[in-house]
Amino acid sequence: MARSEARLEVAQAAVRSLVAAKLRFLVPMTIIFMVGYIGLTVIAGFAKGLMAVKVIGSLNLGFALIAFNYVLSWLLALVYERIANKIFDPLASRAAAAGRRSAA
Amino acid sequence: MSITLSIFAVILLISLGITYWAARRTATTSDFYAADGRLTAAQNGFALAGDWCSAAAFLGFTGLTALYGMDGAFYALGPLVAFCTVLFLVAEPLRNSGRYTLGDVIRSRMQTRASLLAAITGTVVVNFAYLMPQMAGAGVLVRLLTGISYDWAEIFVGISMIVYVAFGGMLATTWVQIVKAVLMLGAGAIVLVMALSLVHFNPLSFFAEAEAKYGAGYLLPGNYLKNPFDQISLGLGYVLGLAGLPHVMTRFYTVPDAKAARRSVVWVMFLAGAFFAATTLFGLAAADFVGQDTIRAADKGGNLTLPLLAQYLGGGKGSLGGELMLGFVAAVAVATILAVVSALTLSTSSTIAHDFYVNWFKGGRVDGRREVWIARATAVVIGLLAIALGILAQGVNVAVLVILAICVAASANFPVLILSLFWRRFNTGGVIGGMTVGLVSSVVLAMIGPAMRGSEALWPLVNPTIVSMPLGFLGAVVGSLLAGRDMENEKRFDAFLLQVHTGIAPE
Repeated sequence: MARSEARLEVAQAAVRSLVAAKLRFLVPMTIIFMVGYIGLTVIAGFAKGLMAVKVIGSLNLGFALIAFNYVLSWLLALVYERIANKIFDPLASRAAAAGRRSAA
Repeated sequence: MSITLSIFAVILLISLGITYWAARRTATTSDFYAADGRLTAAQNGFALAGDWCSAAAFLGFTGLTALYGMDGAFYALGPLVAFCTVLFLVAEPLRNSGRYTLGDVIRSRMQTRASLLAAITGTVVVNFAYLMPQMAGAGVLVRLLTGISYDWAEIFVGISMIVYVAFGGMLATTWVQIVKAVLMLGAGAIVLVMALSLVHFNPLSFFAEAEAKYGAGYLLPGNYLKNPFDQISLGLGYVLGLAGLPHVMTRFYTVPDAKAARRSVVWVMFLAGAFFAATTLFGLAAADFVGQDTIRAADKGGNLTLPLLAQYLGGGKGSLGGELMLGFVAAVAVATILAVVSALTLSTSSTIAHDFYVNWFKGGRVDGRREVWIARATAVVIGLLAIALGILAQGVNVAVLVILAICVAASANFPVLILSLFWRRFNTGGVIGGMTVGLVSSVVLAMIGPAMRGSEALWPLVNPTIVSMPLGFLGAVVGSLLAGRDMENEKRFDAFLLQVHTGIAPE
């Protein structure tokens, strides 16, 4: 009994370090896309003049920022997948192994 | 119109063939609700793209851009950004902690009947609020595109979706989505290349032409969404609401593990995102080539913009190429509507059969074969109800329901889901508080707003998410604190956390 409790402790510690790793990456990444997108809607609502600034030809800053948001979302998705594969997955399988031992 | 009907008949035959094939492979509850969790990430990615590009996206975003400029592009961008939330916070935890439904996640976290009932309520309200305008839109569009009467269009769409869902379950629904997504992306690619070929493959010409024709104001925000707070509210609704839409979320149970769930989100972000970006160009191209007056004359909401653009690109009205292109795009639009209402029907019948009847009412004591039978019967009932509601909704302003669906998803389902996954002290009181406050504030604010009451609105915003979402979170937190600490539940949180992040189920 004591041994299985000790194993449970190990599993929980492993989960905590996984959650900590996730927070370290996901909090900044979430802030980036929220600021990028919600910021765009705020500018659209309150600073229409800024959106009218021409960037190339008839393409204004508003459409340029919309295009930027597309690229940003795609980039973040790829970055997330890479981080998840390289950092989260090994931590998760360690936690899973510890979890399985504690259940056994 | 006969070209549309013949192309659509071919799509329908393919879908029925898929349903027949899928029906023979659907025996267990896991087959029916989740295609036995055996889809690949790419298959699920295409199916998600099918789910998420409804006719509202396919036809609506293009029309909004053609008639109102930049606001249409905002509508198109939001659904892509929303997948960042899903990817970072929701997809993998959902895959790890549930089996078939949102109710499963809440039930395994809280283990109380009351919290399960709250999750069922959130699912059913959002799905019906989403299903009804889709059905109403289906009637109008099928009538516009094929010439069948509204009531017959409802019956036809309803019966097709009942057949897909009741016989083929998740496997048929998924493949119908995949076929539709491939056709839709194919149609989009053809239209895009043809439109670009007219401007020497320089998309900037679309902007220059639009500015020359309609003035610089056309390319600015605020032509459709007049109130600045509505812009922000729309954005918030998308970014948080998608993660609370049950018919999209159940898709993550169709893949084997969290890694595949993750990969399928990346797939959908590129597939649907590229399509959404293209709708902005389609809208501008249509405004340039077809012209706003012609678009308004065909349908004042602009829903026929894309078919009209396709007709123009094919060679114009009356030419064979033009009619073929129009027919193809219109047939894909009808297939789109059908696929989306099928997914909604499946998700609703899953929650009624699995969450409500089996787990809430019977305490889980129903054997698998009987549960599948009940789920199929529920799909038939939901389908018939959808037909009836669709017929009743004719001529009624259903726009408020579209807003309501996404707003309730963001204000009630999303806070409850996120706090269940990540907050130790969250408890049954919090689930009930969050669901009630989020739901009630969304419904009340939408009902007294301009979408429902026009100029007599008691409240200025069309989309209330900016207020109702924080209220939903507040209700969830206050509910948790008022209910007092549930030590049993907090102790179980460690095991739940292990499951959420690794997929290992507690004993």
